[in-house]
Amino acid sequence: MARDKIYQEEDFPSPLIQLWHNFRQSPVVMIGFGCFIFLSILAVFSPIISPYSPIENHLDKLLLPPAWDNKGDISFLLGTDNLGRDMLSRLMQGTTLTFGLSFIVVIISLIVGVIIGSLSALTTGLKSSFLNHFLDLILSIPSLLLAIVIVAILGPGLSNTLWAIVMVLIPQFIHITRNAVEEEFKKDYVLASRLDGANSFRILSYSIFPNIIEKLIGQATLAQSAAILDIATLGFLGLGAPIPMPEWGAMLANGIDLFYIAPWTVYLPGLAILFSVVATNLLGEGIRHALKLRKEN
Amino acid sequence: MKKNKDLVVASQKLLRILISMNLCLILFGCNSEEEASLSANSIIYCSEGSPETFNPQLVTSGVTIDATSKQLYNRLIAFSSDDNSISPSLAKSWHVTRDQKKITFYLRKNVHFHQTEYFTPTRPLNADDVLFSFNRILDDRHIFHHVSGGKYPFFQSVGFAELIDSVERINDYTIRFNLNRADSSFLANLAADFSAILSKEYALQLIKNNTIEEIDHHPIGTGPFKLKEYRTNSFIRYLPHQDYWDKKTSLKQLVFDITPSNTGRLTKLLAGECDIVAYPIAHQKIRENPLLTLESVTAFNIGYLGFNTTKFPFDNKLVRKAVAHAINKQAILNTVYFGDAEAESATSIIPPSSWAYDNTIPVIEYSIPKAKQLLVEAGLHEGLTIDLWAMPVQRAYNPDALTMAKLIQADLQKIDIKVNIVSYNWQEFLRRLALGEHQSVLLGWSADHPDPDNFFTPLLGCTSAEMGSNRTFWCNKTFDELIHKSRMTTDINQRKAFYKQAMLITAQETPLFPIAHSKRFQAQSIAIKGKLLSSFGGIDFSGVSKH
Amino acid sequence: MLLLTILSFSLSFLFPGEQIINISGQIHANPEHIELIALEYAKHESLFSQYFIYLSHLFNGNWGISMGSQLPVIVEVINHLPPTIELSMVALFIAMLIGISMGSQLPVIVEVINHLPPTIELSMVALFIAMLIGIPIGFIAAINHRKKSDNVILSFAMIGYSIPIFWLGLLAILIFSILLGWLPSAGQMSLLYEIKQVTGLQFIDILLSDSPYKWQAFQNASSHILLPACVIALAPATIFIRLARTSMLNVLDTLYIKAAMAKGLTFKQMIYRHAIRNAMVGVIRDVGLQFANLVTLAMVTEVIFSWPGIGNWLIQSIYQRDYTAIQGGLLALSCFIFIVHILTDFIYATLNPLARETRNGTR
Repeated sequence: MARDKIYQEEDFPSPLIQLWHNFRQSPVVMIGFGCFIFLSILAVFSPIISPYSPIENHLDKLLLPPAWDNKGDISFLLGTDNLGRDMLSRLMQGTTLTFGLSFIVVIISLIVGVIIGSLSALTTGLKSSFLNHFLDLILSIPSLLLAIVIVAILGPGLSNTLWAIVMVLIPQFIHITRNAVEEEFKKDYVLASRLDGANSFRILSYSIFPNIIEKLIGQATLAQSAAILDIATLGFLGLGAPIPMPEWGAMLANGIDLFYIAPWTVYLPGLAILFSVVATNLLGEGIRHALKLRKEN
Repeated sequence: MKKNKDLVVASQKLLRILISMNLCLILFGCNSEEEASLSANSIIYCSEGSPETFNPQLVTSGVTIDATSKQLYNRLIAFSSDDNSISPSLAKSWHVTRDQKKITFYLRKNVHFHQTEYFTPTRPLNADDVLFSFNRILDDRHIFHHVSGGKYPFFQSVGFAELIDSVERINDYTIRFNLNRADSSFLANLAADFSAILSKEYALQLIKNNTIEEIDHHPIGTGPFKLKEYRTNSFIRYLPHQDYWDKKTSLKQLVFDITPSNTGRLTKLLAGECDIVAYPIAHQKIRENPLLTLESVTAFNIGYLGFNTTKFPFDNKLVRKAVAHAINKQAILNTVYFGDAEAESATSIIPPSSWAYDNTIPVIEYSIPKAKQLLVEAGLHEGLTIDLWAMPVQRAYNPDALTMAKLIQADLQKIDIKVNIVSYNWQEFLRRLALGEHQSVLLGWSADHPDPDNFFTPLLGCTSAEMGSNRTFWCNKTFDELIHKSRMTTDINQRKAFYKQAMLITAQETPLFPIAHSKRFQAQSIAIKGKLLSSFGGIDFSGVSKH
Repeated sequence: MLLLTILSFSLSFLFPGEQIINISGQIHANPEHIELIALEYAKHESLFSQYFIYLSHLFNGNWGISMGSQLPVIVEVINHLPPTIELSMVALFIAMLIGISMGSQLPVIVEVINHLPPTIELSMVALFIAMLIGIPIGFIAAINHRKKSDNVILSFAMIGYSIPIFWLGLLAILIFSILLGWLPSAGQMSLLYEIKQVTGLQFIDILLSDSPYKWQAFQNASSHILLPACVIALAPATIFIRLARTSMLNVLDTLYIKAAMAKGLTFKQMIYRHAIRNAMVGVIRDVGLQFANLVTLAMVTEVIFSWPGIGNWLIQSIYQRDYTAIQGGLLALSCFIFIVHILTDFIYATLNPLARETRNGTR
């Protein structure tokens, strides 16, 4: 039965726009996405926006409670800690450290992991089985323990923490990329390209990558929420950012000693960590859900 | 058919519910009377660190003294709790010759040593035990001298070995000390926490079993408590000494719960897991709580920043003074000591409550320009990196060394000095300090007896620099002579003059920068009665009870 | 490495016999075969190119065929390498454990033996709680798929998964120990009870001891373990919720369930008799993986609750830079995780006959 054509042209949305439409449908996910964008902007611009320097001691304004308390001061919106440092500025700069660095860590391990993973998917024989077993070994050790091992070897410090978490996340990406690429290799369109005469690298970059990139992004958000928690935990244990850098986990560790006189120094960093992890997870959930919907359609 | 099945299913469900209820009851059921009595007469004391050893002769650390000295041991003489005068303990009387060179002690009879799983005494205390305890320190050929390191820092810093010519046994219950010269602080040193009396019989048993190191790990003394169990870094368990010669304790058990974290101790106090807590924080919160009380004493103590005068850059007096000028003392007092009348700014190492205090001694004032100028004079104004060691434990003289270090770090940044803060756990920390690994250190000293010599000699004396508590390793001959002279006379005015001259020298040379004298605090539940703290020396549980 | 390859290449010349046969191992080849192989190994060209071809064969995993067994050498190597690795690992293990901890001057292995049982206890209890709470809730979520309770459960699960565990521990102490006073905040047991340490596992030691306060001690120890175990259990419980939900959803989709419904079973009967058992199988498989995650969470929790376990000890050693202790502790912890992993694999294989078939294959 013929359909009345009202429009001259038909426009089929590209897969990416389909994904976006699916993504937009859930309001909770959109809120998470908004929060994620907010945190990213904060991470980039915090040195400019924050009212005070995060390491400056205001020795006449020690242990001020947040502004809504009677003894609080509006110029220090979220109070100060035991050395007179403004909590709001520290939290904002902490976004750069905990959230921003987790983002960078994920990008680095994504790139390295994908390269190694796709290369290993191309090889067969001894190298790949060795890699297989080695990966299994590393993947069965939980990420935090491995990070602690690496930091124990390298010594505490912010850059060592980053390397540790990068090294921990890379195997995950290798594993995912490898499985995804091998799966795609078995498909017919790859066979068609190969028959056309394309070599492996060409197939990888033109045909396979666009198809697996969304899976990778899904994994990347998972990895980022794990990275935020790991950076914060290492900071809490004193193995991460050195004092006086305002990393959230380290702030929380500092606040424990003040727990009874200044509980906000413990609540606020914890809430910040919770907030960013939830935002990242919501984003990840949204992407994965949208992917699934798109597949079903 | 279906009805039967339903019945079976229902009864199975009922059985499951009954089992889980019983389980809950077993796990969380009502406490019977037995548990009530277990905690009624036992005290858990949350302490801030692990003891290094169980023999106070070997250490000067307050953590070890608190745990061991007045609990496990007695001394020949003690300080009376009313007026700090010397009173009898294991010696019921004593006699001093007019030239002050011979001192005879008459020992108490029927004093019994501890009976534990590892030792049973067959005789009461006699002169042999006193002889053994002191000869161990004095005679370096004594079998036990080198056990546990061979270092007796307090005794070495007061020059015990040079002072005492010999210790004589007159009869079973009489001991005489023959001194080389008169020393006005000798009796005070014998009454200090370090001069514990050990058991010779136990030592002989250890020699026979070839386990002589045990003398300091499995201690035997005459004190009100005996050691039952010690788990490293975890807890110490004391049981009452049934045959104690003095008033016996009413406690059934005394446990030291070792909790280095400030917040951890307070949490345990608030949750009722500890009865008494050492070095509490959040004083306001404790005062507000009706179930807790905050005790305090004005202590003879000093918190200071010590410079290692044998190492670059603090071998240069100008650098020491520069750093001293750059530190904002008032800010430290406000932040670390929480200001409120809990600490006094220190001008020298002697607290104002001592008779040797002198307010005419010049003080180093807070002045950044002066600091910079001094650095220029020393040729080090281009920027310098130093390490600052901060204690990990809380002491009365310094409740939070790490925060203090951070403040000093920020202060010194203004004169282009970069500070690295270093810390280890307490035993490791002290060990490395003794080896002189530090450039500067935040430390302090709590006096063991009210004589001002107890500040000068252990902290800045030359013998202390060699093997004692002088962490600045500063040795100045004139200074040493002055405090030596002061020890030799009992004329207070003469002594005051000597000490004033000595303090002028330290103000000039600045081997350390005095920061504050503070009170010592303790938080406890209102059920605890009895005096635990004293203004000097370690804590004493013998008079403490619980209701 | 390169030198090694040169050495092994030259060995084929130095060994007696035909070089071609030495390098490829084909002793039964007839002359045509030999010609083919000669081509493959570039016998007719210069030594250099022969060597490079040899290298390229090596990299491709083509190591020739063993003359004895006629199996590819690489297969033989793979078969014989693991025992050697085992032996060297054990030797390494023993060497590390004999080391002496720099802080406490005790042999590292003694420290490990002292500190491992409390961690085992804590992780077991936490695992139990996580499974007890997570799995039923996951099933409920699956049964109410796409209804409101499903979404509520999923959102709680996500928040539970996102909370930083050290913060959760502090909050839990604040609420349950200080404000409500229900549970104690630190340690394994009140210090007033003198329980002799026999195995190191607190509950077993209490039952074995002859103290008159046995049941009070038992109660006391249970109340001490409850709070840290619950704090640890939260994140794994949320993962179990997700796993159980997925597993149950898969089961509910299967034909045999539909057949059971068609047969006339009520929903409840169907769930209790068929669905749960089959869904559990899917969940148990991942317990091993979860356990590794759980032990790491336990490490951080031990620090907060002053639990005398191996995580606390390891982290204190890292602070003190006690290198021997760190080595030994990491080794012990990793071995512990591996062993549990393998155990759960076995348990899973026993429970699920289908899994046994795939044991010899590789993924």
